[in-house]
Order: sequence, then structure tokens, then C-alpha cells
Amino acid sequence: MPQLNAVPMSWYLILSAILFTLGVAGFLFRRNIITVFMSIELMLNAVNLSFVAFSHQLRQVDGQIFTFFVMVVAAAEAAVGLAIILTVFKNRQTLSIDEVSSLKN
Amino acid sequence: MADNLTLILFLPMLGGLILTLLPSSKPVLVKFWANLVLGCNALWTLTLLGRFDATHDLQFIQRLPWIPSLGAEFFLGVDGYSMLLFAMTSAVGFLASLASWNAIDTRLKEFYVSLLILQSCVAGVFLAVDALLFFVFFEASLIPMFFLIAIWGGEQRRMAAMKFIVYTVAGSMLLLVGLLLLYFEHWRQTGFFSFSLPALWATKPEGDLGLWIFWLMFAGLAVKVPMAPFHTWLPDAHTEAPTVGSVYLASIMLKMGTYGFLRLVLPGVPETVKQANVLWWMSVLALIAIVYGALVCLKQKDWKRLIAYSSVSHMGFCMLGMFSLNPAGISGSMLQQVNHGISTGLLFILVGLMYERRHTREISEYGGLFGPMPAFSFVFLIAAVSSMGLPPLNGFVGELRILTGAFEMSVPWALWAGLGVVLTVAYLLWCYQRVTLGETSAKNLGLADLSGREWAVVLPFLIAAIGIGVYPQPAFDMLERPVKQIMEKVRPNYYAQSN
Amino acid sequence: MQFNNLFSILPAAVLALFGCVLLLLRFDSSRPYLIFLAFAELLAAIGLWRQTDFLGFTGFRGAILIDPFGIAFNAICLVAGLICAVGAYRYMEREDEDHPEFYGLILLAQSGMYLMNSGTELITVFIGLEITAVSFYSLTGFLRSNPRSSEAALKYLLLGAFSSGLLLYGFSILYGLSGSTHYLNIASMLATRNSRDPLILMAILPIVLGLLFKIAAAPLHMWAPDAYEGAPTPVTAYLATASKAAGFALLLRLILGPLHDLRPAWEGLITFAAIASLTVGNLAAITQSSTKRLLAYSSIGHVGYILLGLVAGNKTGIEAMLLYLLVYTLMTTGAFLLLSALDREGVTDFRGLLYRHPGVALLMILLLLSLAGLPPTAGFVAKYMIFLSLVQARQYWVAVIAALYVAVSLYYYFRIIREMLHNPDDSPATLTISTGWRAAVGLTAILSLGLGLNPEPVLAWARSALR
Repeated sequence: MPQLNAVPMSWYLILSAILFTLGVAGFLFRRNIITVFMSIELMLNAVNLSFVAFSHQLRQVDGQIFTFFVMVVAAAEAAVGLAIILTVFKNRQTLSIDEVSSLKN
Repeated sequence: MADNLTLILFLPMLGGLILTLLPSSKPVLVKFWANLVLGCNALWTLTLLGRFDATHDLQFIQRLPWIPSLGAEFFLGVDGYSMLLFAMTSAVGFLASLASWNAIDTRLKEFYVSLLILQSCVAGVFLAVDALLFFVFFEASLIPMFFLIAIWGGEQRRMAAMKFIVYTVAGSMLLLVGLLLLYFEHWRQTGFFSFSLPALWATKPEGDLGLWIFWLMFAGLAVKVPMAPFHTWLPDAHTEAPTVGSVYLASIMLKMGTYGFLRLVLPGVPETVKQANVLWWMSVLALIAIVYGALVCLKQKDWKRLIAYSSVSHMGFCMLGMFSLNPAGISGSMLQQVNHGISTGLLFILVGLMYERRHTREISEYGGLFGPMPAFSFVFLIAAVSSMGLPPLNGFVGELRILTGAFEMSVPWALWAGLGVVLTVAYLLWCYQRVTLGETSAKNLGLADLSGREWAVVLPFLIAAIGIGVYPQPAFDMLERPVKQIMEKVRPNYYAQSN
Repeated sequence: MQFNNLFSILPAAVLALFGCVLLLLRFDSSRPYLIFLAFAELLAAIGLWRQTDFLGFTGFRGAILIDPFGIAFNAICLVAGLICAVGAYRYMEREDEDHPEFYGLILLAQSGMYLMNSGTELITVFIGLEITAVSFYSLTGFLRSNPRSSEAALKYLLLGAFSSGLLLYGFSILYGLSGSTHYLNIASMLATRNSRDPLILMAILPIVLGLLFKIAAAPLHMWAPDAYEGAPTPVTAYLATASKAAGFALLLRLILGPLHDLRPAWEGLITFAAIASLTVGNLAAITQSSTKRLLAYSSIGHVGYILLGLVAGNKTGIEAMLLYLLVYTLMTTGAFLLLSALDREGVTDFRGLLYRHPGVALLMILLLLSLAGLPPTAGFVAKYMIFLSLVQARQYWVAVIAALYVAVSLYYYFRIIREMLHNPDDSPATLTISTGWRAAVGLTAILSLGLGLNPEPVLAWARSALR
């Protein structure tokens, strides 16, 4: 795959790091639960990117297999996560993180 | 069988377990059983004292494996020093319980169960020859004592109990770390783990390690003794505890601290103890305790609190004698521990008897007790004199030895300690005067004098106080070998030089 | 070979299978579910016990390793799961949520923990971690109509998923550096690396941080008090012990395996986390008015103590961690389950318990004494071993700090005991007690005392687990 080789490895890693950082930033600063949840998905996808890139560079399939597992897990987590978000919404009629805070000292 | 320390150690606890099966609806049966167990325990201990051979070191040894991989053993035994303290513990414990026959009216069974467990725990501290076993009993005794204070104590009982347990555990955890340092150093030198005291004594750590061990152990034991800046738990705990709790605290549990110093610190880190700056700190803290404790006593309005603070002062004497690092000082310190157990125990019991009659501890509420209660006043006088350290009672013998030892070490120390003696006489006489002399107020006129049971309680104290005061030689004979053992560690050349 | 592969995950397979079957069952009472669960745990335990004859074997090309370490951690998790489930059924009936899914999820979580404890390959442990985590998200939010429960689940889910992301990022760099997902290969590839290499730090930092999240160590502990408080109390007991133990197993396998030679890269972080956990856990617990939250913070403090074994870093330290985890599991499950019997959770709701229910109160006192670490309880032996390892490593100041926090912890544990001694209120909290609860809590309390009086068996067990 000459086209892929044309792009240096470090670029993939930097892109992955940027995406990951964006995910972390979204997790920390967004206030809507769904957005926060999507930020986590972004983090996982950043990880997937670096796995695939490493896998390609190392000429192995292990990294790509890992990526499949991460996707499966992300799907499972999303299923359970959305169910939980749904019950929270049913109980409180809000999706803002700041308003879901009855558990405090 | 008769010399089996394990049996005698667990006898009260066993009695407590049986007590849980007795019906709580029969208070007299409960009281009778608990006192019977404690009485048998005390008698048994005294027969042991009679059979003790002062010409040998450790006796009545019981040695069983306990935690082999840590080198901890179930190792019991007594030498002259621990035998005296153990005998005092059993006897004073029983008498305190007998004195409280009518003092407790709520949750009687639970009270006596705690008391019996406590008796086993405190006895274990003095019987253990294994440092970890010592520590386990040292800590375990706090738990029943916490309940005694927190359930059956005075107005502020829960606060006092919390203060008591948090302070002492903070100290004893540091003691544990210090102990582990010593234990690990022993492993480094010999290649095997052991907690037995003779093994730890052979370690002799030096330099920084010695200082670490010394200060960590000091922190733990100083809270217990208590030494001057760490004493703040004591007045509350002693005052709020029920009479029997105060007696256990003052007569027995404070001795655990000094006993720890003489068992773990002096022979454990002899090189460090000898250092001039360490000695300076110890003696200054001891003198502060002596003088400060006595001064605080002078302004106390609460009778029980006064006696509580007097313990701070008296234990300062024990510390001063110990850190004189000469036979006179150390043997005086050891004997004074027993004496303090007797005199302060009796004083607390007397206050307790008055509290049962009048339900107040304010000194100003009393006065002129000599009229209605001559026998009580007489006993109180003897207890006070014994506590002051005047001849011919027991306190005199111990304090004289301590002062001799301190004098040998440094003249100014002995003078400061002498000031402490004067202050002690002052506050005790003043207290005595306020309580028993003067006009008898109407409230005190109808008070009953000592009953037969109360006489039975105080009489052994009087006999012991006068006995030790008049003829202390047997006690000193018993202490000779333990003192020598410590001296050989701390100042191996001492005896050679003085001859 | 084929036999060996299946055998290596047999306990996890049994647990997962029974867990799935449980999801399909419907009975009128919760007792059959419980019997079913106990049967599955028994089978898994037998499988685990049989594994002792095959030490050193690996399954799935080195993804699963059968060794005493894994067996020991699996035993802790099995015990915790069984105790929590047995103690839970009356609680779930009281909350009107006694569905088979509850027991099924407990088993599924357990199978995930098996992979975390025994896995020696990144994908395997990641899958195990997520099976455990997803089961726990559901368990935490199991009281659907209770807003606190679903809120706790939400917080746990968001922070848990976030920490999984961190962990994965570290895994991806680790994979890129070593070209393998197997611990053995990673170890040999990293052996020549400098621990100051920025790429190494980029791998280790997120991994350690992610795992500190999972074990609820400060400064990444903030989900724990909320999740613990909102979750159904038996789930809290399970979450605070088994899931934490599995997290520690994963952390230890990584840190003592592939990352062992890179000690300078993680040492500072672990030391900081240990001291911070001690501080945050113990100081925050003082002011709590809810017992559940108090115990949650105290469990953060306990994580600090356990991590100190790693700070010491010697063999005694690792043994101490294992021993501490076992003891911690016993006393914490006991304490939380005991709490689950009360219908209210404030510290003041313990008022007068000693006089109304002396038996229950004595069990709680015993467990609290053990949590505080006073002799002669098992908690003391655990703390003793931690202190010993620190002394051996000459970390005297750390040992002093840890010793002083024992006194702090004593203050808040004794606050509960102190409440018990007050005279009872007009409207005391009521107790719901079942036979299973009695057995579970009684067992933990008796072991907390018995293992303190005679710690030799557990000491030998911890030593044998690290051969």
C-alpha cells in the first residue's frame, strides 16, 4: 500500500493523540450527558486509530484484532450506557450533568 | 498446673464467657460470679508471688508456637519486676471490682463481662515475653476500657472515651513501627525473625536507626505513661470513667507505658538511651510532668480530677528514676510503679465511695467528713500520706530511691524533683483539709461510715502500703535481678566502676 | 492442547454460562436463583481447585496463565461474590427488585474478573475488565425506580468508560512499542528501554492512571463515594471488594511483569496515589453523615494501605497486598452487608443498636475493629504486614504517616460504635435479617477475628500465592 506509506507513522500517532485529547476535553468540559458519552466514544476511536496504524507498521494483525474487540466493547458499553441514561432521564427529566447530583456530602 | 500462666491469664476471660450465659435478671448472681472469678484470680496470683524465687530471672515459663513465620511466640513468663506488677494488677483489679459492688446499676452483666476481659488483657501485657504478644494485649486492653468509659462513665463519657482511644492508638501504632524496626534489625543481624524480648535485647541498634526506634517507641509509650505534652487524654478519661475504670486506668494501664519503657526501650536501644541529648529530653519532660502535674492539682476543684492529675506527676517520678540509668533510680522507678498502683488505686476507690454516697465530685461540696466518717477520714489520710511519699509508708521508699538515683545523675534534677515532692505534699494535704476538716455541712452530716465490705476493700491496700513502707526489702530483692539485667545492657561497666 | 485451552478458562466459562442461563429463568422466590448461583460458584471453585495440579500451564497461546497468584485472586473474588449474593436476597426483596438478572449479572461479573485475574495478554484482560465493568454498571443501577441508584450508575459508567479509554490508549502505545500483546513478549521487548523515554511514559502513565481509577485510588477516586452510596448495598459490598481485587490483580500482573524494570516510570505516581488515598479517604470519612459513604471513603483509605505494599516494592510488600486484599474483602463485605440490613443508612441510625440488637451490634463492632486494624483482628495482621514491608524497604516516614492514619480512621469507625452506645431513639431503624445474611455476615466477622488470633494460615496462603 504505497499511498499509506507515503504518510509517516508519526502523523497517525499525532492525529490519534489529538483525537484522544479532544475526547478527554469533551469529557471534562461538556455538560450534556449524551455529548459526554460521545466524547468517550471519540477517545476509543482515537485508540483504534493508533492500534491500526501500529498494526500496519509492524505488519501484524494483532492490533487490528484488538480494534475489533474495542468496537464490540464500545457497542456493549453504549447499549448499557444508553439504558442507564434513559433511566436517569425517566427519574429526573434532565440530561445535564450538573443537575444530576443528589449524591453529595 | 498451679504455675500455669496461660491458665491464670485466661481465667478472667473464661469467667467472662461463662458470665454471658448467666441470666441478667439475677444481678446478685452476676456480681457474685464476677467477683468470685476476680477474687480467685487475685488469690492465685498471690500464691504465685509466694512461690516466686528472687534468685532467678524468668520463671513459670510457657512457650508455645503462635505465628512461626513471623517469629512470634505465645511466650509467657515473669521476672521480679513483672511479677510485682502482675500481682498488683490482679489484686487491685479484684478490689476495685469489689468496691464497685453497688456502683453500677445498668447493664450489669455487660459491665462485668467487659471487666473480666479487661483483666485478662492487662495481665497479658505484664506476662508476655514476646514483643508482639505484648503489643496485642497492649492494644486489646483498650477495647473493653473504651466500653467501660463510654457506657458506664460520667456526663462526658463518650467524648472522653473517644479521646482516650484515638490518642492511645495513635501512639501505639508508632510504637508498632518502632518495634518493627527493632525486629527487622534483629533479622538483619541474625537472619531469623523473632519477637522474643531476650532476642530483641541482643540487637543493640546504633546511630540513626537507634534514634528512629527510640523516638517511635517513645511516642507510643509516652502517650500511655503519660509524659507531659501527651497527657491531655488522661484527665478526661480518668475523671469520666466509673470508679473501677479509673482504678484500672491509673493503677494498671499507666504502668503499661513505664513497663514498655523498661522492657523495650532501655534494653532495646541501650546505645541511644545513653546519649546525652536523649537523656536531657527525657529528664526535662519528666520534671515538667512532675512539677506541672502538681501545680495543676493545686487548682483543681474536682476531687477525682485532682487525683487524675496527680498521676501525671507521680508517673513523672517513675520516668525520672528510670532515666537516671543507675540501679537506685531504676529500682525506685519499678517500686514506685507498684506504689502508685496501690496509693492512687485506693484514692480513686475512696472518691468512688464518696461519689456513691453524695453523687458529686466537687471538693467544695464536702468538708468536715471527719465528724460523720472518722474511719473513712483515717483511711483517706493514710492513702494521701502514701501518695505524698512520707515515711513510714510505701511512697517514701520509692521516691527516696528515685531521688537518690536522680541525685547521682545530676543535682539540679534532684532539686527540681524535690520541689515536686513538696508540691505533692501541699496539694494532697490541702485536699485532705478541705474534705475532712472544718465545719460539717448539713448535707454531709448523715453519711454512713465505711461498711464491712468497704473495709474489706481498703484493708488490703493499707496492709500493702504499710508493709512495703516498713519492710521493702523483699520487693527490692525481687527487683535486683531485673535491674541488673537492664544495667548490663545500658551501662555494662557500671558495677565495675562503683566497686 | 485443545483440552488445556478450555481447561484454562473453565471457571470463567462455567460462570458465564450459568450467568446467561440465570437470565432466562423465572421463579416466584429468589431462593432458586440463589441456589443456582451457589452451584455455579461451587463448580467454578472446583475448577479453580483442580487448576492447582496444572500450575504453570498456559491457555490460548499464553493469553491465560494458570498460576498460584491468579488462583488466589480468583478465590478472593469467588468468596466475595458468594458472600454478597447470599447476604443480598432479602435486601433485594425488600427493595422489590429480586429479579434473576441480579444473580446472573453477579456471575457474569465474576467471569470477567476471572479473565482479569488470570489473563496475561492485553486483549484478554481488556475483555475481562469490560465484562466486569458493564455488569457492574447494570448492577449499580439495578434499583431502576430509585434516582440515586441510576445516578450512581451513570457516574460510574461515565468515569469507568473514561478510565477504560485511558487504559486502552496506554495499551495501544505499549503494543506499538513492543509489537505484541502478550506480557512475556512485551517484557522482553521493553527490557532494553530507558524508563525516561517519553514514549514509555506515554504508555505507562495512562495505564497506571486507568488502573488507579478502577481500584478507586485518589486522586482518581471521585466516582467511588457516589457509586458506592447509590448502588444497592450488597452491590456496593461486591463492587468495593471483588472488582477492586481484580483491578489490583491486573495492576500487579502488569507492574510486576512487563513494567517491572521500568520502576522509575511508575514509582512516583504509585507513591503519590498511595499517600493521597490515605489522606483523602481517611480525612473525608470523618465528616460523613451517611455510614455507606463513610465506609466508601474508608475503603479509599484502605486502597492507600494496599498500595503501600507496592511502594515498598519488596516480596513482603506484595505478600502484604494479597493478605490485605483478602482481609479487606472479608471485613468490607461484612460491614456493607450488615449495613444493608438496616433500612436507613445514617451514622445516627446506629443509635442504640447495641441494646436493641446486641448480636448484630457486636458483629458490626468486630468488623469495625478489624477495619480500623486493632489487634487481635485480621485487620491488624494486614496492617502489620504493610508496615513490615515499609520498614524493610527503609521507608520510615511513609510508615509513620500510615501509622498515624490508623488513629484517624479509628476516630470515624468509633463514631459508629459510639452511636451504638447511645440510648435508642424513638423511631429506630428496623432490621431485615435472613438466614443467608446471618451466615454471610457471621462468617466474615468470625474470620476477621479468627484470622487475627491465628494468622499463620493466611500468611502461608499469601506466601504460596507468590511462589
